[in-house]
Amino acid sequence: MKEEMNDEIITEKLEHIETDFIESNIEEGNGKNVVKVRNLTKSFGPVMAVNNVSFEVRKGEIFGLLGPNGAGKTTCVKLLLGLLEPDHGEIEVFGLDPGKDEITIKNNIGYVSEEPLIYKSMTPRQLFDFIISIRNLDEAEAQDKLRYYFDSLEALQYYDKLIATLSRGNKQKMQVIASLIHDPDLLIMDEPLTGLDAKSAKVVKEITELHTDRGGSVIFSTHILEVAEEVCDRIAIINHGKLVAIGTIEELSKMANKAGADLEDIFLRLTEQDESVNKIINDLRKMMKNNNKK
Amino acid sequence: MQNIELYKLSKKVYREGVFHSQLQSAGSNQARFLERVEKDKIARMPDMILKFMSAIYIGILFIIPLRSFGEIYGSLLSGTSIEWVTLVGGGSIGAFLLFQPIILLVFSITFVWGLMSGGPYEWVNTLPFARKDVEKLGLFTFFRSMNVQLIVMALVLPIGSIVSIYFFLGEQISIVNCTILVIFSIIQSFVSIVFYLSIAVILGRKLAGVMEEHEGGSKKNNIIRIGTMVLYLIVSMLAMYTIQIAMDKIPLLYASESLSPQTANIINIVLSFVAYPFSSSYILTGTVIGFFEIPPLVVIGSVTGFILFVILTIFVFSKALRTLRSITSTDIKLRDVEERKIELDDIVAKKVTPVKAFFKRDLSIITREMQGIMYLIMPIMIPIYGAIVPLDFQSIGSYGLSANFLVLVFYIIMTSYMLIVGLTNIEAGGETITASMPIVVRDQVKAKIPYFFGTILLAYLSWFLFAIKYPEFWILLRFGLLYLLAIPIIGIAGLFFKAATFGKLKNKFVLEEIQNKYKFLKYVIGFIFVAVLAYGFALIGGFLGYWIMFGVEIVSLALLSVVFHFMFPKLKT
Ligand SMILES: Nc1ncnc2c1ncn2[C@@H]1O[C@H](COP(=O)(O)OP(=O)(O)OP(=O)(O)O)[C@@H](O)[C@H]1O
Ligand SMILES: [Mg+2]
Repeated sequence: MKEEMNDEIITEKLEHIETDFIESNIEEGNGKNVVKVRNLTKSFGPVMAVNNVSFEVRKGEIFGLLGPNGAGKTTCVKLLLGLLEPDHGEIEVFGLDPGKDEITIKNNIGYVSEEPLIYKSMTPRQLFDFIISIRNLDEAEAQDKLRYYFDSLEALQYYDKLIATLSRGNKQKMQVIASLIHDPDLLIMDEPLTGLDAKSAKVVKEITELHTDRGGSVIFSTHILEVAEEVCDRIAIINHGKLVAIGTIEELSKMANKAGADLEDIFLRLTEQDESVNKIINDLRKMMKNNNKK
Repeated sequence: MQNIELYKLSKKVYREGVFHSQLQSAGSNQARFLERVEKDKIARMPDMILKFMSAIYIGILFIIPLRSFGEIYGSLLSGTSIEWVTLVGGGSIGAFLLFQPIILLVFSITFVWGLMSGGPYEWVNTLPFARKDVEKLGLFTFFRSMNVQLIVMALVLPIGSIVSIYFFLGEQISIVNCTILVIFSIIQSFVSIVFYLSIAVILGRKLAGVMEEHEGGSKKNNIIRIGTMVLYLIVSMLAMYTIQIAMDKIPLLYASESLSPQTANIINIVLSFVAYPFSSSYILTGTVIGFFEIPPLVVIGSVTGFILFVILTIFVFSKALRTLRSITSTDIKLRDVEERKIELDDIVAKKVTPVKAFFKRDLSIITREMQGIMYLIMPIMIPIYGAIVPLDFQSIGSYGLSANFLVLVFYIIMTSYMLIVGLTNIEAGGETITASMPIVVRDQVKAKIPYFFGTILLAYLSWFLFAIKYPEFWILLRFGLLYLLAIPIIGIAGLFFKAATFGKLKNKFVLEEIQNKYKFLKYVIGFIFVAVLAYGFALIGGFLGYWIMFGVEIVSLALLSVVFHFMFPKLKT
């Protein structure tokens, strides 16, 4: 009973706050935005993967895209990169249109994709030589970075192995290094910690922080709240393609506290996962009881 | 599980494999490709063209047994010894049986190789199937990857027998023998198919092993890899060459008895015991000549040999099943390589120009993927098989050499087109890593152009080497040399045409296949485009004069560079 009451209150308050946050954010737009997205919409047939989303990413911040599976995070990221064309809406990256100034934008972006699809029939050595050549980087500088990153991510011994034979996590490391080697202004990382061991995950988190310390920006997509909480300066919560909340951790927490809940409740509630979670857990319990192994 | 159900399921696995490779060829445009696939659900079958092409080549082999059967009676009547006739009959049909799987492999290895990666099986393995069922599933999937070819192969010999009976053998040999001939053809075809399929599986695995399992980088392994491919190239070229000779020379072989009957007989006896391919060929020859006419030892030998062949097939089949078990369980066995510790100093960055970088990448992918190397090999192989070999072995009439030149042009068209398709598919690799890179399509295209100056020109020039002994050669030479420039032009124009039809995006053209609608139609039109260009140049040369043709070539080249600048503009980065 008590829980239900609580829930109602939270919802009420949230609805109020939600609109507040989104509006305040739009007003805050200033010259320092690295990414600016207005009313972005993208559908795949009947599926609205991204539905009227607006947000900014500011210089020097780690911006989290948080949402459950299928929420539209990856689609959002691909639109930013110009890998997909939006149905409606405007995107500006560094003040440019990804559809037109693709090359300039890509020169200043590092991208870690959801799936580490990198040339399987190459070795990291060949891959990085290829990347350095295509990106036209300074040889010596790139080499130093390679050495540094391979060392700190403990991937040195894989430098001459066929990428096809690397483990998931090690492929992921190659992707991460490839996204950093040209010192981009903006890092776009789609679930970058997937498959990484604790130590490497820490290093990657550290890297994103150092990156922003030097004035770079990061878009960090994740479906895990704790990760977003730990890593991100500001978070946009996405559900069913819609932006449902946006703000700093403090802002979101404050809002949660006001509503008498913690951030996780808020996250689950905003993404409509709470009811279903409770129901699913109850159902699961019942099912497990019935199926108890002898 | 029922075999039927498993066979149905194998379609899913096979399609998955094909889709996998399609997805890969969408390259950095995977997201867009998937979006379109979602909208446009028409099943695309990129594998069909190659399937039918190889089926046609296999079908052509039909001529060998037909010719052989046709000559046997005439030779015997004209007094050739029965031993010699048996030898030529057994030998030529044996060669036919030997060529069948070679052609099958030459053409189908790309599929076999693709399926050997094990990827599509991964999920199957997580299902609660009996191990036997998984093996069967693997086998069925393989069968699907070359079903058209195998079915054609199964039909060639029985139909060849029936056709020969209908046209001539029916009058020459008894009804009993005719019946035996047909029934044995069918049995032999069935056993052979199981045999070939198993060989394909085992060999494919071996090749996949050579390509895949080696650690990259090491010189020794590169040599092994490239060596294997060169070997493959040589074997396939030799096979094509020999087939051509066999087809043309069969009557001549029957007529030119060059061994004593005793020697021929000994060879016959020895060969007839050879399970594959000769035991079957001796049974077939024996049926046509008459079992009581040929020495009993040959009959005994060939029957024993055939039983051995059946046993061998069972053995090879079970080995293939075991091989399939190892891919279906997706364990990559890494060869032991002494672990070399890599120090920081070993990381050395090497920068080249973007064009060179693309070229190097293409080469590194090509030499590791069978499919890639095929596209480089075919341009040499096909013209040699189609135009150059006949030039050497057929008598050429007064219009012969020019006619043969037109045949050569046709093969040039075919191979140019294959190269176009191949090169654009390499641009692929499903690699999201390129998706975020500032890729200038212009550089990508530039890196592809050298390929059009490579193997095709080599094949073209070797035609002249073979044609040199004909008197018309000197007339054709000037034409041929002036036509030389047309070959890269048609290839490059074809490449641009493909980018224009398949790769148009909002404000640029890319090499990947994005616009997938009417795919098959666009492929056909692309081929016609290349053909019109190639024959267009030749006709201009033939009717308006060589130098005019050359002029048109120069103009085309200029036009092509304008199109190049328009389609793939220089970008400021
Ligand atoms: N190419 C496509 N074709 C059709 N539907 C697609 C395509 N790509 C994405 N979708 C759909 O769009 C929605 C959003 O997908 P998206 O990949 O952006 O989710 P996500 O938030 O990244 O999820 P996850 O946490 O699982 O990575 C999903 O419903 C998905 O099924
Ligand atoms: Mg995602």
